[in-house]
Amino acid sequence: MNESVILMFPIVLPVLFGGAILCVPRIRSRSALLCAAGAGLILTALSVLAVLLGNADTYTLFYLTKSLPVYFRLDGIGRLFAAVMALVWLLGGVYSFSYMKHEKEEKRYFGFYLIVYGIILALAFSGNIITFYLFYELMTLFSVPLVLHKGTREAVMAGLKYLLYSLCGAYLVLFGIYFLFRFSNTLSFTWGGVLNQELIGGREPFLLFTAFLMILGFGVKAGMFPLHSWLATAHPEAPGPASAVLSGIIVKCGVLGVIRTVYYLFGAEFLRGSWVQTVWIALTLFTVFMGSMLAYREKLLKKRLAYSTVSQISYILFGLSVLDGTAMTGALLHVICHAFVKCALFLCAGAIICKTGRTRVDELKGIGKEMPVMMWCFTLCSLALIGIPPTGGFVSKWYLAVGALKSAVPVFSWLGPVVLLVSALLTAGYLLPIVSDAFFPGAEYESGSFEKKEADPYMLLPIVILTALAVAMGVLSAQIVPFLQTAAG
Amino acid sequence: MDFVCNIPFISILLSLFSGTICSVLPGRAAKWVNTAVIVSVGIMSAILLVYVNGTQESFVYMMGHFPAPWGNEIRAGVLEAGMALFFCMIMLLCMWGGRKKLDEEVEESKHNLYYILVNLILSSLLALIYTNDLFTAYVFVEINTIAACGLIMIRQIGRTLEAAVRYMIMSLVGSGLLLIGICMLYDLTGHLLMSNIQEAVAQILEEGTYTVPLVITMALMVTGLAIKSALFPFHAWLPDAYGYSTISSAAILSSLVSKGYIFLLIKIIYRVFGFSVFHDSHIINVLFVFGLAAMIFGSLSAIKESDIRRMIAFSSVAQIGYIYMGIGLGTKVGMIASIYHIIGHAAGKALLFIAVIGLTDASGFSRSFFDLDGAAYRNKIAGIGFTVGALSMVGVPMFAGFVSKLLFAQAAVNNVGKLMPTMIVLAVSTILNAIYFMKTVIRIYTPAENTEFAVIPLKREKLYGVAVVLFVILNITLGMLSQPVVDMIRSGLEMFA
Amino acid sequence: MGANLWVNYGEAVAAVLFGIGFGNLLLQKNLIKKIIGLNIMDSAVYLFLAEKGYIEGRAAPIVVNGVQEAAAYINPIPSGLVLTGIVVSVSVSALMLSLTIRLYRRYHTLDLDQISLMIKREGR
Repeated sequence: MNESVILMFPIVLPVLFGGAILCVPRIRSRSALLCAAGAGLILTALSVLAVLLGNADTYTLFYLTKSLPVYFRLDGIGRLFAAVMALVWLLGGVYSFSYMKHEKEEKRYFGFYLIVYGIILALAFSGNIITFYLFYELMTLFSVPLVLHKGTREAVMAGLKYLLYSLCGAYLVLFGIYFLFRFSNTLSFTWGGVLNQELIGGREPFLLFTAFLMILGFGVKAGMFPLHSWLATAHPEAPGPASAVLSGIIVKCGVLGVIRTVYYLFGAEFLRGSWVQTVWIALTLFTVFMGSMLAYREKLLKKRLAYSTVSQISYILFGLSVLDGTAMTGALLHVICHAFVKCALFLCAGAIICKTGRTRVDELKGIGKEMPVMMWCFTLCSLALIGIPPTGGFVSKWYLAVGALKSAVPVFSWLGPVVLLVSALLTAGYLLPIVSDAFFPGAEYESGSFEKKEADPYMLLPIVILTALAVAMGVLSAQIVPFLQTAAG
Repeated sequence: MDFVCNIPFISILLSLFSGTICSVLPGRAAKWVNTAVIVSVGIMSAILLVYVNGTQESFVYMMGHFPAPWGNEIRAGVLEAGMALFFCMIMLLCMWGGRKKLDEEVEESKHNLYYILVNLILSSLLALIYTNDLFTAYVFVEINTIAACGLIMIRQIGRTLEAAVRYMIMSLVGSGLLLIGICMLYDLTGHLLMSNIQEAVAQILEEGTYTVPLVITMALMVTGLAIKSALFPFHAWLPDAYGYSTISSAAILSSLVSKGYIFLLIKIIYRVFGFSVFHDSHIINVLFVFGLAAMIFGSLSAIKESDIRRMIAFSSVAQIGYIYMGIGLGTKVGMIASIYHIIGHAAGKALLFIAVIGLTDASGFSRSFFDLDGAAYRNKIAGIGFTVGALSMVGVPMFAGFVSKLLFAQAAVNNVGKLMPTMIVLAVSTILNAIYFMKTVIRIYTPAENTEFAVIPLKREKLYGVAVVLFVILNITLGMLSQPVVDMIRSGLEMFA
Repeated sequence: MGANLWVNYGEAVAAVLFGIGFGNLLLQKNLIKKIIGLNIMDSAVYLFLAEKGYIEGRAAPIVVNGVQEAAAYINPIPSGLVLTGIVVSVSVSALMLSLTIRLYRRYHTLDLDQISLMIKREGR
């Protein structure tokens, strides 16, 4: 245990920069704004690196009440999430430099973008559920301006829908925390749970219900059925980079919440074999299938990707719900992989909108001739998401399936992998036609009629880096997996 | 007895007499007298708080030359001193925030009258907080009612006159019930001082003779105070009274006047009947049910309302419901939560009223929800104030509202029978709150297309800006550093018993 | 029960009067009748208090022939309370009446429901 204020830097720095961008009237010109935002992003990323490499691991900020400190602690899961968040958010920010040129109110966008950066890092570092809840609510509030950025009526309604769904979910969680508070000695995250058997005294059914509420509550952010529909509304309305990080990172915060709840508050042993586990697995599998089907039928590119997120996040939740070490490793791998892949895909969709203004899938014929580099990245990412061998998606899904088969959950241990496989086929079904149409538009398109519209370097660079990481993950999985296995207990 | 013990008496008397002085002063001078009185009473209350916190016991102050069973008494403990300090702070900020509006809406010649009324309100609130005598409490309840009625009707339009009449009628019904309750209690026990009554009540219960009249008395007094503090379904007068009076009146009425009655009720529960007697009667369940109903119906009415100020007024109905629910839970934590909510809601609701007036001023004085597009850009400080107030009401962490909800939930967990209704209604009401408050926050931050309303620069309204900023700080402090306040309430309640 | 009522007939009458006043204050539409109801209600309370303070066969606590022993006088506190109560109710009645005059000058009616309707029609 190493109490150190260094832990606060990645949280406070971006919030300060974001606040300054929002409040200081001096930052007027675009270059000044970009300088400030860029400095904020890079300094934050560096400080995250310093924290991850350093040995500081706890910091108590203040006491809400005597027994409820707001404090931060860095553990394996926290390190993993912090690293992914810091990287993807930084790349999304770089992409925004170019993308936001054609949007109004850039100042507001970058201000809130930076503030949310700090808040999600705080989520990763949170040491107890109260701190987590606090920043979870703040994340919801401060990310709403990103969603409704365009300010049109539809965007505002989408923002409101996002806000209400999130608040509903957060309230279910709070509801759970109230009860949990009564049955445990502490609310700090401890591997294996914090429940006190003496205090429970035969109230297990009640506590199981509490656990279910909390999973459902965090499941809202993670897009789990039945409260998933905000995703498909919010993503198409948000600006490109915002929907990328929304799908890549913010949704993962719900996953982090579920991990913390299940493994660190209630403990896997408490839930194993209970009705909660059964219902939870059923919900995740249903979401996996339903998300893929909805994506398959959807014609709007960003909406299709949003439904794909619904489905893919439930892969992760499925891996968590079977309560098996291997499956959890797979889930964590998929967290990383999906963050890179889905972020890159949304950035591609944003670049297409930005350069050509096309939003529907059937308008994308021949886009591969116009934006070849970007479309190659799109292709590689699609392959990674489907799970074609050398890419990261294959490794994560492999672990997920093996873990599910290994676990002793009746019926679902074999039904799960089957659903995953079917869904992978559907994923191929909704992504690959885009790719083939993009490169082989068909006879009616003259090969010479396409002009080069390749995206700016600022846009292209993050996409290329994310794609490279997604592919490399599969190759380097031997190095990553041991780390994850220790994190997954 | 230390000199500090004179403070409760001095502060009541100071505010009462400054009211009289204001009647002969011109408006400007009355304004200064008013500010000086509120500030000095606030400082004195702070000193008293420090003193009582040091001795850790309450003291009784004899008024006049007659000792306990006959004479009149004042009693002060940590909770009383803290409440007095807090009420002074809120009142000062309400006056600052509404000053410009007051100048616009009320005739110049009536300004000094307004300050008389405010001083009277302060004095009666202090008396309600400090008094140890039930009949004195009744007299000051009436003074409070009359002054509050004046605050409503000082802006003379048809709506406020009607609202004032309706307010008076409901208040008179309430105080009539309170009065007959006090008389019956006097009949039963032969005392008017709270501590003596409590002994007599204990004796009555021991002998088991007059238990039914005692419960009826309790019911009469509780109902009377509940009507006066606008508990659902006695809230019909409230939306117009809060919605159309001048803004500092609305803020003071919603955050202080109704809270004064609730504080008196809590005092009666603890100091007159004793908490256990109250807890064993069925009245507590009735309060609980009405509190829950208020939480839901107040929020539903607020959602339907398109007039922004009436919307906030209806939200007050819901918040009063929270307080009564906490009292109805019948646990000590519930009572602490209720008192914390009195404080938190006062800070949040006063801020909302003050902020809303800035927003409507920046939208061509339109009160309609639909004209507020982008108002937060035209009056920045009001926008921030409204957002903070709304977040506090919804119960987002870091703000006062979250802590009180946390305390309510903790209290509910300790009472197994009422656990599920409390939790479900808390959840539903929070979602309803979120719907109408967040809807408004998003609307005021949606940039308006081709608006003709002018931007109100901060420089023009310095005092207003200061008031809003201080309110924001107060709300965040209450949300982040709740432990000292909760400790204060807890030790104050221990001194009550 | 009946015997108790007969012995305490003063209190019983006070209770009935209180009910009448209370009902009028709440239910009457006419503002003047409401105020009359208020006064009946308050008077009922004073009757109740006076009845409670009175002790059979004793005099009012007014010193005439020098102070006699305490047993010669009735309980003075309720009388004091009645006095205070009268002051309060007079001021409240005055306030209500002045409000009524204001409303009557503006809307030329004493019916509160009609006044509400007119105000709604004004649309302010």
